[in-house]
Parts: sequence; C-alpha cells; structure tokens
Amino acid sequence: MTDERQPLLKVRDLTVNFTKGTHVVSAVADVSFDVYEGETLGLVGESGCGKSTTGKALMKIVEPTSGTVELDGVDITHQRGRALRHARTRMQMVFQDPISSLNPRRRVRGIVAEPLDAWKTVRGDERARLVDDLLNQVGIDPDVYGERYARQFSGGQCQRISIARALAMRPQLLICDEVVSALDVSVQAQILNLLEDLKAEYGLTLLFIAHDLAVVKNISDRVAVMYLGRICEIGPSDVLYQAPAHPYTKFLLGAALDADPDSVGTGAVLEGEPPSPLNPPSGCRFRSRCPFATERCAAEVPLAHEVAPGHQVACHFPFIAQ
Amino acid sequence: MSDHLLEVKDLRTTFRTVAGAVPAVGGVSFDLGSNETLGIVGESGSGKTVLARTIMGLQPRTNVEVTGSVLLNGHEVVGASERVMRSMWATEVAMVFQDPMTSLNPVMRIGRQIDETLRVRLGMDRRAAHARALELLTMVGIPSAASRYRAYPTELSGGMRQRVVIATALACSPKLLIADEPTTGLDVTIQAQILNLLDTLKQQFSMSVILITHDLGVVATRATRIIVMYAGQIAEMGDTRDIFYHHRMPYTRALLESSPKVSNASHTRLAVIAGRPPNLSTMPPGCAFAPRCAYATEQCHVERPTLREAAQPGHRFACWNPLPDSSEGTRP
Repeated sequence: MTDERQPLLKVRDLTVNFTKGTHVVSAVADVSFDVYEGETLGLVGESGCGKSTTGKALMKIVEPTSGTVELDGVDITHQRGRALRHARTRMQMVFQDPISSLNPRRRVRGIVAEPLDAWKTVRGDERARLVDDLLNQVGIDPDVYGERYARQFSGGQCQRISIARALAMRPQLLICDEVVSALDVSVQAQILNLLEDLKAEYGLTLLFIAHDLAVVKNISDRVAVMYLGRICEIGPSDVLYQAPAHPYTKFLLGAALDADPDSVGTGAVLEGEPPSPLNPPSGCRFRSRCPFATERCAAEVPLAHEVAPGHQVACHFPFIAQ
Repeated sequence: MSDHLLEVKDLRTTFRTVAGAVPAVGGVSFDLGSNETLGIVGESGSGKTVLARTIMGLQPRTNVEVTGSVLLNGHEVVGASERVMRSMWATEVAMVFQDPMTSLNPVMRIGRQIDETLRVRLGMDRRAAHARALELLTMVGIPSAASRYRAYPTELSGGMRQRVVIATALACSPKLLIADEPTTGLDVTIQAQILNLLDTLKQQFSMSVILITHDLGVVATRATRIIVMYAGQIAEMGDTRDIFYHHRMPYTRALLESSPKVSNASHTRLAVIAGRPPNLSTMPPGCAFAPRCAYATEQCHVERPTLREAAQPGHRFACWNPLPDSSEGTRP
C-alpha cells in the first residue's frame, strides 16, 4: 500500500542481539514497520518472540545492535544525552507490572509530577492543576487519592497512575507493553476503554504490545505478528484475523480461545515449542515447526512482501485468499 | 454412597486475621459426577483457589475455620486428619497448580519426583516405579522421556514443566483431578496443547476434572458444567451452554461482555463492570455484587440472595432481580 500518511515512527531493520561470552541471542532480527499518526499498531506474539525487546529498543532502554528508528522524520537511533532525553518525552512507555512500575513509598501526585519536575516545564499552581487534570483523566480522583502512597492501590489503579505519568509530557507515541495482562478481565476492560478514550482525547498514537490475541484485535487498527525475533505478518487487524496469510498466524489464531462454546476453532494445534533464539533455525525461523516447510524455507530467509494492499507477509508459501 | 464422586455441602472456609474474619468461601454447595469436567470461573479473590485447596484438605489448621461437608468418593474431607488425607491424595484426588516451577522440587531430577509418588503411595519397587514414570512422561507428551527423566525442572520450558506436574498428579490414577489455572502463564499455542492433553488423559484415566480458571475461553469448549464464583459464593451454576447463552445473573453477563473476543471487530467498546469486588472482611449485607450491579434493587442491598432454580435442570443462580430468561438465547 502506498500510504499517503507520514509515519510517526519508522523502524527499519531493527536488530537486537544480546551477547554473553561467545553466545549471541538473536532477540530481534531485521524488524521493519511503520506506525502512522493516530493509529494503533498491535504487536503480538508469544513469550520470547522479541516483542518487548522491540518496544524497549525503540525507547533505547536496550541499545539496538543495528537498524534505525525514526520519530517524526528524525533518526533517534544514535542520539545521546539531552537530545535522546528530549525524544523520549515524545514517546513514552507503560509497562506490564503496574505495581513494580511505581515507587511504593511515593505519593500519587508526586509520581505523576515527576516528568514535569524533571523538565521543569510547569511550576506552582499550573503544575498542581496539570497533575490533578491528568489524574482525573485516568479516573483517579486527585482530591481523594492524590496524597496516598502507590502501595495503597490495586493493580488496575496503579496502571491508571502509570498511564497518567506517561501522559504528563504530552507524548505523541505511547508504547504499551502488556499493560493489561496482569489485570482481571473486568479491570482489563476498564483500562482498554480508558486507552481508547485517551487516544481520542490526546490524539495519541499507540504501539500496543501484547500476547493476548483478543485484546490486540479489540484495540488495534493494524497488527504485526512476531515469531522468534522476526515479523511474520503485518496487516489491517480485521483482514489479518480473518484471512491470515502466514502459517504461524493461522496456528496462533487457531489456538486462541473465545469465550463461546460454539466457537469453531480450527482444531489444528501447533506441535512443539519455539526453538532457542541462541541458535535460531536457518532461513525461515518458523520452518522447524511449520507443516508446510520445504527446502527453500531452510535455505532462504523469506522477505516481507505484499499479498494485498497494506498486508505484508514474510513467507515463501503464504495462504492467499482467492 | 451416592452416585456422585464429589459432594460439597455448605462449605465455608474462613480465615481469622488481625483485621477480622475473612470468609474466603462462604457457603458453597455442588456435586460432581464421574467423568465430568466442571469449570470454576471467577476473578482474582473470588475464592476459587481457596475452594479447591479446601476440597483437597490442604488448608492449614491454624487460623482457618472450615465448616460444612466435602464428601469425596464417600470419604469426609472436612476435619479429616492429615493421615487420612494422605491416604486420599494421589489415589483419590490430585491437584495441578498454576505455577509449575513452584510445584516441582528444583533440586531433584523430574523422574525421581514421579518415582517418589509411585513408591510411597503404591509401594512399587525402584525398577517398576522407574518404568511407570517413563511411561507417564511419554503419556503426557514429553519427547525423549528416557533422557528427560534425568533433567532438573529448570532445564525444561514452562509447558514441559506443567506436563511433568500433570504426570506426577496422574501417577496413582486419581479419580478426581483439580487443575487450578493450569495454563495461566503459558503461551496460547502451549495452552492449547496442555488443554488437549488434559482432555485426552481424562478419557484415558476415566477421571473427573475440576478446571479452575479466570478465563472463560478456557472452559467454554472444555467443561460440561460451569460454576461462576463471586466474592466467595456461587453466583450462577449450570450446564456450559446455559451459562453462556441463558445466564440470569447480571454478574455472569458482565463477565462475558467484558472479555474481549477474537471475533470482535477492532475498536469494539467493551462493557465495563464499574468498581471492584468487595472486601471480604466487610461484606455488604445483601448481594455481594449489588454495589456494582446495574440492576440492583433495594432488596439486593439488604438481603443476601440464595441459589434458585432456573428453567433448565441444574441451572441455578443467586439473584433477586435476574435477567429475563431468553429461551432462544441471548448471545453475549
């Protein structure tokens, strides 16, 4: 698809290797994608597929081994010091475990004001008003809860506070790493709806990293599926879920359980477990578990190619809807 | 003896804490037949795990008060001594816990952990136990069982560890297997493998299974009957299809509607249950769900509803102001 929109985030050939002695763990390998302004891109995959490492590499919490990350046309891959700190105000991250993301011995208002104080953008009354506004936005009453300690809150409330803190600098891009996976289903729904509301209110762009296929489907405009450090497939969420083109996506969706006794699973269960990223298979990384793999899959790394407008697949033999 | 494998009557498990009595399970009654899979669903703190541990006779004796009755294959569990319970564990009832790492001894080879059960409980000799352990490891789908027999738990993946825990639980062919969140923390493709394995083994060992989960998707296609728990009590129970399509209790509907679905279009607004579950030590006098319920009436706030019969046999719900019974079925 020749998208007319300018991508807010442009990731090209992002690679992250972790080295320990002579061992190299290939956590993220040649990952490329765009996130357009105002959209939600879901990044889905099983544990160890590199989705969180990708998120962290974008924020430069882990150093990318190679590749480039461009935010709004500016290459931030090699930025350091103040320039990098400034870039980070425009992209913020919310993490999985809401309770350990917050200092239990600090008061809620202090936590949310932290980024404002670090940048000294606002002071005094204006600062206090902004903090209370943020808390109201995420559904925490600042007059009742503002002076309480973080340890006094439940997981769902802590996640709300983390989101308020992430929004304090008015970022353009919010990276959500498994933000609802530690929460009960009723609380999870509250946080997902909150993110949708905040997205509309602040004109946010979201990169939503999660393992739960149903959650990702509900919140995303487009979805990227990762397996063992590589993106298998990326496309509009409705298309990708309805007609997955990569065999892995098909198996992954087949294993997802809908809360419906009449749901028709594909019945096909993926055998085995993902291989170690210490020693990934040659060629296509999914080939060792793929029932359709041929010699070509072992020899050549499949490159992402379009099978439909905006729908890219990295597979030599994709399923193509007729 | 009755024809039920398990009969639970007015079971109450109360923790005595400094902050007062906490009724974690507050009067639960149900039956379980042979070869049945019962799903117990609820959010965290709903008492599903405490219920399972009470049925297993695993509650400590200090500061915990258990009343009511649990008849397991004709044996009373409530008040039974540890010696009596030991004679039932593994042969009558066994449990698979959520976190396979903490259920296994990290410094003991996995084979020996299975052997131990066989030798202590069934009096097998070393050689017979070894052979049976290998057989069990193969049965639960562990590839190259002979070499994995000597592996330590840390050398296995989460899915493989859970398979070992299942093999240990099944070592003495129990009549009832209680699986408490057996797939939480596992990836979806591994979850599908483990759930399929449990289904196969249930047939093979002709046992009953209690599947405890927070995920309605896990029980939707696996359980024959479902109990929905809220704040330590049964909110609704019945055949799986009755729970999903003919539920009467607003909490059941709220739970179903707040779970995102793969079949939803993207940006589907999720129904939200306002507020949070009640604090068990200060339970409201009426229905525990009333403060969060959109349909609550005055009666709901003052009087606790008891389970009443719905149209379908075995379908019961605790609600003063239930949703209308839609015989054609409201699809959530």
